Amino acid sequence: MDQNADASFDPSKNYDEDTLAQQREIEKEIAASQAMVSQLHTFDEIVEEYSQEDAIYRQKIEDLKSRFKNLRKTRGDGNCFYRAFGFAYLEKLLNDGKEYKRFLDIAQKSKDELIGLGFPQFTLEDFHDTFMDVVKMVENPGTVDGLFQAFNDAGLSDYFVVYLRLLVSGHLQQNADSYVYFIDGERSVKEFCSQEVEPMGKESDHIHIVSLTKALQIAICVEYMDREGEKCNSFKFNPFESLADDTDTAPAFTLLYRPGHYDILYPL
Amino acid sequence: MAQSPSGSAVKALQLELKKIQAEPVEGFRVKLVNDSNLFEWEVAIFGPPSTLYEGGYFKAHMKFPADYPYSPPSVRFITKMWHPNVYENGEVCISILHPPVDDPQSGELPSERWNPTQTVRTILLSVISLLNEPNTFSPANVDASVMFRKWKESKGKEKEYENIIRKQVQATKEEAEKDQVKVPTTLQEYCVLSTPAHDNQVDADFYDDDYVDDLDDEEEMYHEEDEEDSGNEES
Repeated sequence: MDQNADASFDPSKNYDEDTLAQQREIEKEIAASQAMVSQLHTFDEIVEEYSQEDAIYRQKIEDLKSRFKNLRKTRGDGNCFYRAFGFAYLEKLLNDGKEYKRFLDIAQKSKDELIGLGFPQFTLEDFHDTFMDVVKMVENPGTVDGLFQAFNDAGLSDYFVVYLRLLVSGHLQQNADSYVYFIDGERSVKEFCSQEVEPMGKESDHIHIVSLTKALQIAICVEYMDREGEKCNSFKFNPFESLADDTDTAPAFTLLYRPGHYDILYPL
Repeated sequence: MAQSPSGSAVKALQLELKKIQAEPVEGFRVKLVNDSNLFEWEVAIFGPPSTLYEGGYFKAHMKFPADYPYSPPSVRFITKMWHPNVYENGEVCISILHPPVDDPQSGELPSERWNPTQTVRTILLSVISLLNEPNTFSPANVDASVMFRKWKESKGKEKEYENIIRKQVQATKEEAEKDQVKVPTTLQEYCVLSTPAHDNQVDADFYDDDYVDDLDDEEEMYHEEDEEDSGNEES
């Protein structure tokens, strides 16, 4: 950080600062051009967007168009999975009072569990309070538009994302034995959480999705739009243990994964 | 939305300042450098008793980024510090203050990282802990680091490091007098104002330091006090 200090012993310092400055610039551009959560797009618009892409992608978009009506985009700021997850789920809860009650209970209890794991109570409560404020918008005002406003209000939306990240971290730490072998590098689960889960803007991988769906007991579906096969590969995250018994665990919602990014899909 | 000082940053800083001022915590005091700017704080850190830093009164400035609490503040000592993890300009180099980008130091030591639930309190407790337990794996001041290791490895026979620190501690007395501050020099005084120890992790690190090892009984006593305090606070 001190460029006057003997630069030879820690050449990485300047490199770090440059990376950071560049990253900030990119973040600004993205923030200026993309809503945190967008309005609904029709698939005709998405087909148009992909008209210049290669045949595989065009074919896959057509496949999605045959099954989905709309797409809602999220900002590509490294938090897209959490924002897409949060918005899609709360939107579903607008029409499912029973599931809402179940979720409210889990959400309430999560605070003490996280404090028990050593997160500072003072700040954790602040994040939890804001998280609950957003969750309770499902009852009041209880409209898609209300959620849309909240998820595009940085103060609410980012605090919501922070709390979902803490839930993932909490689940991983509480079940460290099940995850430690799926972590890259010589890292403990706790180190992984503090490096890849808790900081804002850190992208989500398979392990994050598994954790969040398990922590909250929510089944979701992800359509993977990669270069494999002719149709999108549909993958269901079912936290309800037994693999065979996935009959009555309909996914709460479906996300679209295009390498590095998550958006929300709305079925026909 | 996110570029200029966000509502989140102002809200988080106001909340923290209010909390710390209402319930002063062990080992340090804070105030704003300038009342109209919430993003720059002046902190005074008391040297922990039974260490080379006992009786010391060290001032530092904390600068908060516009996207706080998503990114960490920086901490820069105003008081002259000779320490392996403090640059010549006073900037403190400690893992909890590293921005959340990939950095080459990761993986060297399992160490605490920034996340949005960290606070001024958790940072300052880490800094206080660092005073007595420098990290010599990635020193900001190589000379100080070499000198510290000589002192440590010779079990205090090589006095150069110790002498410099004691001299610097002595030099802070004047500033403390000027600010009319009585720096606590016993563990009891040092902790007497402490708030309930909720974030066990940091407190564990803090009390884990060598210098408390021979004071186990007293340490237990403080934890009991903490619990009582906690009860009072909630009532």
